[in-house]
Amino acid sequence: QTKYKGRVIGSDDKQPVIGASVRVKGTTTGAVTDVNGNFTLSLKAGDVISISYIGYITTDITVGSDTNLNISLKAGNNSLNEVVVTGYGSQRKKDLVGAVAVVNVAALNRQPTGSVENQLQGQAAGVTVVASGQPGEAPAVKIRGANTFGNNQPLYVVDGVPTTNVNDFNPNDIESMQVLKDASSASIYGARASNGVIIVTTKKGKGKTNISYDAYYGTQQPKGGNVYDLLNPTEMMSLRTLAIQNTARLKGTSADLGSNLYGPNGNVLPDYINAGFDPETKAPNGPFGIHDGDPAVDPAKYNVNPFYTSGDPSGFYRITRANKAGTDWYHQIFSSAPIQSHNLNVNGSTDKASYLFSVNYFNQQGTLLNTYLKRYTVRANTSYNLTDHIRVGENISYAVSENPQINQNDEGSSIGMSFREQPIIPVRDIMGNFAGSNTANLGNARNPRAIAERTKNNYGITNRLFGNVFAEVDFLKYFTIRTQFGGEYYSNYNHSFTYPEYENSENNVTNSYSENSYNGYSYTWTNTLTYHQVIGKHDIKVLVGNEAVKNRYQALGATNTGYFIFDPNYTSISSGTGTPTAYSFLQRDRLYSPLIARLDYTLNDKYLLNATIRRDGSTRFLNEVYGWFPAVSAGWRISQEGFFKNISWINDLKIRAGYGVMGNQNNVDPPNAFTTFAGNRTNSYYDIGGTSSSTVAGFAQNRIGNPDAKWESDKNFNIGFDGTFFNQKLEISADYYKKSITDLLYNPNLPGTQGTARVPYSNVGAMDNTGVDVAITTHQNLSSELKMNATLTFTTYHNVIKKVTLGQPYFEVNSGRFNGSYIIRNQVGGPVGGFFGYKTDGFWNSQADIDAANQKAGGTYQADAAVGRFKYADVNGDGKVDAGDRTLLGNPNPKFTGGLNLDFSYKRFDLNMFWYGSYGNKIWNDTKWWTDFYTNFLGAKSKTALYDSWTPTHMDAKAPIQEIDGSFSTSTVPNSYYVENGSYLRLRNVQIGYTFDPQILKSIGVQKLRVYLSGANLLTITKYSGVDPEIVGSGSGNQAVDVNAGVINNSATNSSTNFGVDRGNYSPVRTYLLGLQVKF
Amino acid sequence: KKAYLQQPVLGALPSAAINTAAGVDGLLIGAYSALDGQQGTNTAFGGGGPWEAAADNWVYGSVAGGDAHKGSSGTDQPAINSIARFSVDASNGFLNSKWKADYEGITRCNNVIKASAAAKDMTDVAKTQAVAQARFLRGHYYFDLKKMFNNVPYVDETTTNFVQSNTTDIWPKIEDDFKFAYANLPEIQAQIGRVNKWAAAAYLAKSYLYEKKYTEADALFTTVITTGKNSAGVAYDLTANYFDNFNAATKNNKETVFAVQQAANDGTNTISEANNGDMLNYPYNSPFGCCGFFQPTLDLANSFRTDATGLPYLDDYNSHPVANDQGIASTSPFTLDAGNLDPRLDWTVGRRGIPFLDWGNHPGQGWIREQSSAGPYSAKKNVYFQATKGTYGDSHSWAPGNANQINIIRFADVLLMAAEVKAQLGTGDLGLAYVNRVRARAANPAGFVYTYKNAANPTGGYTTTPAAKYVVSQYPGGYFSGKALALRAIYFERKLELAMEGHRFFDISRWGIAQQSLATYFNVDGKVITDVKGASFTPNKNEYYPIPQAQIDLESDGKTSALKQNPGY
Repeated sequence: QTKYKGRVIGSDDKQPVIGASVRVKGTTTGAVTDVNGNFTLSLKAGDVISISYIGYITTDITVGSDTNLNISLKAGNNSLNEVVVTGYGSQRKKDLVGAVAVVNVAALNRQPTGSVENQLQGQAAGVTVVASGQPGEAPAVKIRGANTFGNNQPLYVVDGVPTTNVNDFNPNDIESMQVLKDASSASIYGARASNGVIIVTTKKGKGKTNISYDAYYGTQQPKGGNVYDLLNPTEMMSLRTLAIQNTARLKGTSADLGSNLYGPNGNVLPDYINAGFDPETKAPNGPFGIHDGDPAVDPAKYNVNPFYTSGDPSGFYRITRANKAGTDWYHQIFSSAPIQSHNLNVNGSTDKASYLFSVNYFNQQGTLLNTYLKRYTVRANTSYNLTDHIRVGENISYAVSENPQINQNDEGSSIGMSFREQPIIPVRDIMGNFAGSNTANLGNARNPRAIAERTKNNYGITNRLFGNVFAEVDFLKYFTIRTQFGGEYYSNYNHSFTYPEYENSENNVTNSYSENSYNGYSYTWTNTLTYHQVIGKHDIKVLVGNEAVKNRYQALGATNTGYFIFDPNYTSISSGTGTPTAYSFLQRDRLYSPLIARLDYTLNDKYLLNATIRRDGSTRFLNEVYGWFPAVSAGWRISQEGFFKNISWINDLKIRAGYGVMGNQNNVDPPNAFTTFAGNRTNSYYDIGGTSSSTVAGFAQNRIGNPDAKWESDKNFNIGFDGTFFNQKLEISADYYKKSITDLLYNPNLPGTQGTARVPYSNVGAMDNTGVDVAITTHQNLSSELKMNATLTFTTYHNVIKKVTLGQPYFEVNSGRFNGSYIIRNQVGGPVGGFFGYKTDGFWNSQADIDAANQKAGGTYQADAAVGRFKYADVNGDGKVDAGDRTLLGNPNPKFTGGLNLDFSYKRFDLNMFWYGSYGNKIWNDTKWWTDFYTNFLGAKSKTALYDSWTPTHMDAKAPIQEIDGSFSTSTVPNSYYVENGSYLRLRNVQIGYTFDPQILKSIGVQKLRVYLSGANLLTITKYSGVDPEIVGSGSGNQAVDVNAGVINNSATNSSTNFGVDRGNYSPVRTYLLGLQVKF
Repeated sequence: KKAYLQQPVLGALPSAAINTAAGVDGLLIGAYSALDGQQGTNTAFGGGGPWEAAADNWVYGSVAGGDAHKGSSGTDQPAINSIARFSVDASNGFLNSKWKADYEGITRCNNVIKASAAAKDMTDVAKTQAVAQARFLRGHYYFDLKKMFNNVPYVDETTTNFVQSNTTDIWPKIEDDFKFAYANLPEIQAQIGRVNKWAAAAYLAKSYLYEKKYTEADALFTTVITTGKNSAGVAYDLTANYFDNFNAATKNNKETVFAVQQAANDGTNTISEANNGDMLNYPYNSPFGCCGFFQPTLDLANSFRTDATGLPYLDDYNSHPVANDQGIASTSPFTLDAGNLDPRLDWTVGRRGIPFLDWGNHPGQGWIREQSSAGPYSAKKNVYFQATKGTYGDSHSWAPGNANQINIIRFADVLLMAAEVKAQLGTGDLGLAYVNRVRARAANPAGFVYTYKNAANPTGGYTTTPAAKYVVSQYPGGYFSGKALALRAIYFERKLELAMEGHRFFDISRWGIAQQSLATYFNVDGKVITDVKGASFTPNKNEYYPIPQAQIDLESDGKTSALKQNPGY
């Protein structure tokens, strides 16, 4: 017998197969491969050895005379041996004992968006993504539901470097993406892991030098038709008549239909909505009765200076023709827009080095006027093997982007005005200047087109450098030491000009110009030492390390007013004649982790154990700087047990469970521990000298300190299984989890007696999340030519607030136009973001009903009850309706979300389809407050208000009686009228591709050529009555500094407890693309 | 590695830096700055709309008292509707804003007192001066809370537990603060905005009045009237012209006892120090732009009717209504009221056909957002003049600001309070002379509203023709034949003189006449204006506002709250 040496590698990744069993057939001798895939056995020529490993097809080899055996194991048709990057290391997928979702990057890249986060929607079980149609707007990403009242954004770890922002990453650069969902996988990231961790690894050079070019070009189309179902001007007139008549009937008075707009009988549309003004008082002239030929409409009298620099516009002589057909405001601001992406990638590798260079140009014009994302990214990833045991390398990317956004779901935005500006108002007046509500009885909405157009010259540019350098040394056979320094440097500059308005009934009359900028850096220095050894049946891997993080952010900005001309080439802070105001801001914080440790132990490929621990310290805490974050998990490959081996349809089955603690400090402001004072011109200065024009500096407490704040802890239990069945055709991975977040850091309102200084974060709250994540994949060869892969992801989370703070059972946000009452109440026992208010229970159909209810209540059953108004439910059963009857009206969190990827290939054709659905989420359709109630400001109204509101002959109505006045029983308090079913099923993406015959291509030097046609959001099935059921929180993705409070206001924070409210959403749009992929 | 995780606070003053002479004065300025209730960037302290915590209490004192309708349109700022209709409940967010704003003021005063105690570079005299001003201001904030909510928790510079019950009457604490201020403040201050001894005396006397301690009040009012001076050392007196009290150009005059200073165009590009709380209260579709709130009531306007002798109709003023243009389009003809009127009407109520300061004749409906829900009139005392709009007006927001002072106590108020005390005590002339002093000023023809020389050029000056038939006279000697009549006349005079200045509700509430006077108003205005139609005041409940539910919850341990709700809510 001779000593043979062997090395086993996987045919798929050419990586050593560790722990493969090598058996000499017909004997009991055998060996297990070590860390490098090596084994030694005493054999003789002619022996047959059988090499088996989970996920690979078992291979028999007849040994010859060569004592060096190089064995390549062919991968099975499954993903078990995929190498998965996890916290500070990597594992084969089959060895995972934590809840880790591995994302199919190919499916990801089919979504036509510049954002990796948007692409993630539906692709990973356990991840919920609510996206926006606005180019560049960061979506709301939640991993296993809401974990905090603050920012729920997960931690991204890109090539080992933690960051919170992947918005400007080039999606084409991504090699792999893993979502670490539970404590056993994520708590090694300690203090920042609570929201879940997404690990992104960028592409490396591979094989001989190759060049690929991927591009697509397409068009995006906003929803067509009358999206808000609004009335035309004639119908608006009819609705007015209806409301006046209803009100007169309710009050027992006679109906006076006379109108400055519609004439003495309220039934004639004017030819002009304004012409001139009252010379004494500048009040606009009532438009009724102004026809062509009327001396008032003489264009010679017209006098509007749209660029007025002083005074107010009340003296303008306007002449505006009525648009009797009605203006479609939505499509005045939304129109088709192009999208394109071009990506060039050059890469290759040798024994000594690998290199990759990529360039991407992405340009998505928004369907909303003057919104877009234009981005250039370059990347260079290299690594060098200095010796067999020393590797160094770097990954670096640089992005430049321009991305003007609007605040959506915001009353003042152009979208928010598009369902409020009356349709009789044309876009422009007779001389081409903007037209608007500046006349009698046309309400106070603002011209949406004007809002959008006026942002034309607002400009901003963001630069970001992100990357790392590393060195790795192997020593003493089993050890590897690695040091990595990574981070980012970013800067932003933007400026905007506010034009004076003149066309509306309420105008901003002051011109102003602002410049804002911020820049900052963050670095992470990580050092790890890894030990990996296979000793017989024992596979032991140990990692220890430490890490230091430093962040710095600074902002500077200024505003001036009083510009004489508005030419963007002229305006600067110094060219304004007003008093410039300026601010600057600095924030920095540091994290230090003296210990990061991890143990992976596998016994006999059957029993798996993982334990991690991390200790984190932060400058955001004072008295308890450090926290411990441990986790442990175990797996049992049950299919390896003898009693399972006979079940042939089970190829592999592993059950696993884990428990651990993750931390969170994301929401704590760096100065949280300190009581501070500051001077602020708008709230602590005072004109003590009585000058009427200037103030004297004063101070006020601006922050109450909490030196005792400490780490929030997210205790996390997970149980699940991974299985491969039916000859590896079906893979299922399923998890159940329960998270209890205690010591939740929250800044509850304090009693008013403590003043209004900023409240510190304290460890006061608690919440629970439970849920199930399931991913199912199947591979089917339907015929020899027709193949199918399908992946279904299924995500649920159930969020319950356990505690807000001592004695305080709720906190409320978002009052909309219900001033004094809030739409959202985050209350103990309810979910984060629950809608709150009165529950409608039909209408009061007769006075007798009201009288009977009052009699039963022994007084007033319901304030302002009247025929045709809402009847509210007596929820607490005390016989009357009052504040105590308000209740949770709906949950904006979905009961489940799911994604289905279907990939078919037939000969050279491929067809991919991606469906995404959200079930059980409710939407607060606040647009109805404006459009379905005649009384709620004189703006545009809906067809529901006219055709489906309560009247004595139409009691089975949707909307209540239309009236002149608002009341408690109709529109002044939040009630369930606005709550709608937001479930939807969407055909997110379809792609049909054709790959040309490589044999033919070879002759022209092309390796691969594929063309495709793709369509996004082609079909949405929903009952939601608004524009689209996918509603992000309010606010844009732009960071802004609240200088008064000395903090960064991150709109992602706002949307954690305030989402699913539709106030004019920038919805995802239908997109058609033509794409090309070519590789040389 | 420990040093790596130690970081000083950035961009703010730590407590230690505040405990100096300069720090204490800065905090004191900050305590004054809180008087207007404004946090800046169009928000009240703690986040509500600026109007929710306006220092002039236009919502809680004037709209609730029947001086004014909410204005604008029916569903704009609906939280005010329930306040105006007395269907307000504890969940109304406005009350919470008001509460937070006053306690922010109190916190700032307490911080002055704490810092001065710790300051090493201040003399005891300097400390006392700072503390006396802070205690005056604290007294004011607590007075404001007391009249709004009656039962409120008390926190001072020694408080460490901010969960405090509201079952102890705080009048003694308010008195203590004003007494300390009275005893320690100088007569003359280097800056007119700082409060002096006499402001403290007047506020202390006002506290006595509210407590019905008439004897103490009488003595103190008499002293204030005879020897009081404003902070510049000018003896208290009525200004010759009524409207000088509502014009930034003539502010801080001899009639100013305690006023909140406001500044326009202060370089912040905001109106946060420029009557932010009143930003809504300008005519609509007008040169002001926004927003048509705070519209005087028919009942108020009718009160200014005078009889042939120039005296008011104390009881049946609504039987002699002032002609108005409700329901008449601006382009349709309207005939001005030709009867006798108190000239103060046209400084208080903007009405059609009468010069609206120097902005032109009020056009009626053209400037009103929705007559059907809020009536035909516009507010006037809070408006600035066109001729000086560049200086005293401020357009750095979507609605205007201005530099008018906010009168908390002016000398006319002192005279009428003193008269009330005399009548209550039944001494002397039962206050007749004080009332007549106020009426005599009103009768000064120089202070009337006159028609424009050219209505199309309203800044071009006035004729000598009064805009209406102004007939106002003093009560004849001995007219106050008994306490009841004297009080009726004094109450009525307060309604006229101090209308739209945020006093009315608190007056009728403490007088115990809220139910009947509001019933009259609801009845008269409710006939044609929808917002208060069918409203009613509930005695033994609506005299005070409910303790904000949010505060009750915040002071709860989960089962019971330290704060007890007011009766009836």
